[in-house]
Amino acid sequence: MWIDGLLRRLFPLILAALMCLPAMATAEAWAELTPIQQEAMAPLAKDWDSLFKKQQQHFLKLADHYPNLTPEQKERLHKRLVAWSKLTPEQRKRAREKYLAFSKVPPEKREQVKQMLREQEASKAAASSVPPAAPAH
Amino acid sequence: MNEKLNTESVRQLLNRSSIHLDGSTLARLSDARKQALARFDARSTAPAFAWAGILTGSGRTTGSHRSQYYWAAAVLFAAILYSGATYWQHSIEHDNSDVDIAILTDDLPIDAYVD
Repeated sequence: MWIDGLLRRLFPLILAALMCLPAMATAEAWAELTPIQQEAMAPLAKDWDSLFKKQQQHFLKLADHYPNLTPEQKERLHKRLVAWSKLTPEQRKRAREKYLAFSKVPPEKREQVKQMLREQEASKAAASSVPPAAPAH
Repeated sequence: MNEKLNTESVRQLLNRSSIHLDGSTLARLSDARKQALARFDARSTAPAFAWAGILTGSGRTTGSHRSQYYWAAAVLFAAILYSGATYWQHSIEHDNSDVDIAILTDDLPIDAYVD
C-alpha cells in the first residue's frame, strides 16, 4: 500500500522532472560562463544574454573545441563568429552540406578551387578599394 | 421482492430471521455479499500492485482505477518520449559542432560555403 502512496506522491514530481529535463540542460548567462568559454565567445559577449538558449548551447559546443585550436584558427573563429551567429539554421545546414561535399573533393582539385576563390576575393577587395574615376572635362 | 436492494433494506432483511426468507432472496443476498467482498478485495489489493499490473497487464483493478493508471502511464510515456526526443536533437546538434568549428576555422572564408 505504501508503494502506491509513494508513487502517487512522486508521479507529479517525476513528470515535472521529465518535462523540465530539456530546460534544465540550458546554457548560462554570460557572467556564468567559464573564462575559456568567454574567451572563445568574446565577439558575441555583447549579444550573448539576448541569444536564445538553443543558440547559446550551439555556441557553447563550439567553445568546447576552442582550447584545441591554433592561434590562427582562434583568430579566424573570432572574425567569423558574429557572421555565423546571424545565419539562419537553414543557411548553416546548407553551409555544412557544402563543406562536407567539398571535403570529399581530391586535395589537388580542392587546392585549385581555393586558389581561384582567393583570387576572386582579392580582385573584389581591390575593386572596392579603388576610388571611382573622376569624370573627364 | 422485485425492489432493488439497498443498504437499508439489506440491514432490515438481515435483522429478520433467515428462516422467514425465501430461497431466491437468500440466493440474492448471498450473491450481493460475494460481490461486495470481491469489490472490497479488489480495492484493498489492487493499488499496491497496480503500477506493476500496468506493465505486466495483470493488474487486478476496477474499471475506473485501471483507466486512471492507463492515463498516468500514457502521460509518463509521453513525457519520456518528449525528453528523449529533445535529448536526441541536442545530440545531433553536438555532432554538427565538429563541422561548424571546421567551417569557422577553415582557410576559406565562410562566404564560400554560405549561399
